[in-house]
Amino acid sequence: MRSSPGLVGTATPTLDAPTQEQVAARVGDALEAVFDAVAETRADATELLTRVAARQRRPATADLAALRPGLHLRLTRQELVSGVGFVAAPGLLTDVPSWLEWWQSGAEGDLKPLLLDLDPQHSAYSDYTHWDWFALPRDTGRRAVAGPYVDYLCSDEYSLTLSAPVEVAGRFVGVAAADVYLRHFEAAALPLLRRLPGPAYLVNARGRVAASADPAHLAGSLTKGPDFAGVLERARPADFDGMRLFPCHGIPLVLVTAAR
Amino acid sequence: MKQSTDGGARRAVFAPVDNRARVDAVVRRLGDAIELGLLADGEQLPGESELAGQLGVSTVTLREALMALRQQGLVTTRRGRGGGSFVSLPEDPGEERLRVRLRGWSPEELRDLGDHWAALSGTSARLAADRTEPDDLVQLHRTAVELSQAPDPAACSRMYGRFHVELAAAAQSARLTREQVALQTEVGALLCLVLGDDEYREEVADRHRSVISAVQDGAHDSARELAERCVQESTARLIAVRLAL
Repeated sequence: MRSSPGLVGTATPTLDAPTQEQVAARVGDALEAVFDAVAETRADATELLTRVAARQRRPATADLAALRPGLHLRLTRQELVSGVGFVAAPGLLTDVPSWLEWWQSGAEGDLKPLLLDLDPQHSAYSDYTHWDWFALPRDTGRRAVAGPYVDYLCSDEYSLTLSAPVEVAGRFVGVAAADVYLRHFEAAALPLLRRLPGPAYLVNARGRVAASADPAHLAGSLTKGPDFAGVLERARPADFDGMRLFPCHGIPLVLVTAAR
Repeated sequence: MKQSTDGGARRAVFAPVDNRARVDAVVRRLGDAIELGLLADGEQLPGESELAGQLGVSTVTLREALMALRQQGLVTTRRGRGGGSFVSLPEDPGEERLRVRLRGWSPEELRDLGDHWAALSGTSARLAADRTEPDDLVQLHRTAVELSQAPDPAACSRMYGRFHVELAAAAQSARLTREQVALQTEVGALLCLVLGDDEYREEVADRHRSVISAVQDGAHDSARELAERCVQESTARLIAVRLAL
């Protein structure tokens, strides 16, 4: 039932309205499920490349075909995942300088491999090692969430890419990763955000909005001022200039609501 | 009195809407592959139905595309036993072929292409000025450096195109980025014709650096203006080359 005119604007939360902590936790859960797909791909790739190394030879693109059944399974099973695969560090494979064993789901649910022209003589986009989804896990040794960003290399979509480093015998050999298109992430996050009593949105560590139920802060825009990275590092809620900031546990996103 | 309109114009109305675009896409794809040496001189192309299947087009579309490639001298067809379509790399130098391609554009079409490009890059620069923070500009800086160090006009034009794609991505717009990527496949090769001039190449690098500075300062109006001017100048030079042909 609608509240009486006198109460408009107060929007008192009902008993079953979740707290900010609960919303932040459930957003985290949604992306943890995607990280599960990344972890499985990472485990498969590590196992495969360790096995090849044990035979005293270097891997080639043909070896990576063994990853496909697992990749296809994750693409069909994980609703949020639209692309998944293993991206080799340049120089890892014997037959090509660089390679993405990458699969995507099409509009009709069909699965297709990504085939890129990675020859620097023809393509301006042959070097993928500077993208956050590759560089962050390589440089930190930890899993990472890249974006939101426009992925003009693989999907042409506004995306989040979740990735983790793959190492064999202590050496970095590439990343396992999964793409979540932002529109899918927003569709998952929006119902949660809208159950909060006031305008709410999610930003990444750099303050870029990843999903929003606040028309004044739309996805892709920047929220300047708060030290979001610091909030994530301390893993504790904080206040900044009328904003209440809640870190999503284990995931580098911060829930922003009005302080009240 | 109602006229019977069963002629060619009427048939064209009911032709599959993107047939022409498909033919052009196949011509460009195979043409570029041949120009770039991905398909070797003398190599036999797969049979018509197989090739059409691989490219995801009808055999009618493929035949039209092969006809256009024959006219460009990039494919020859032999009949009978052992026949088929073969790659034939023309002997004239790349620049001469680019001039032939440029002749396929009327000055008005080039002006319109430039308008579209300026709209995309100008808007991208304005939005990027509002939506970027220093970390987002690393790619653009790198591309501006590689542009000024490019060893030849082809490499320079690849960096030129990449700069504008990265600018659209910095605007956080997938649509503007897709449009810019599509536009660069059209204009990219042609730009080689104006980027052979070292002095102009350095000017382009300077213009790109000033776009980055404006974006970095959050000066969205001047970012837009600088990006537009950069694109308009290149288009004007391209049109001048076209008019001299």
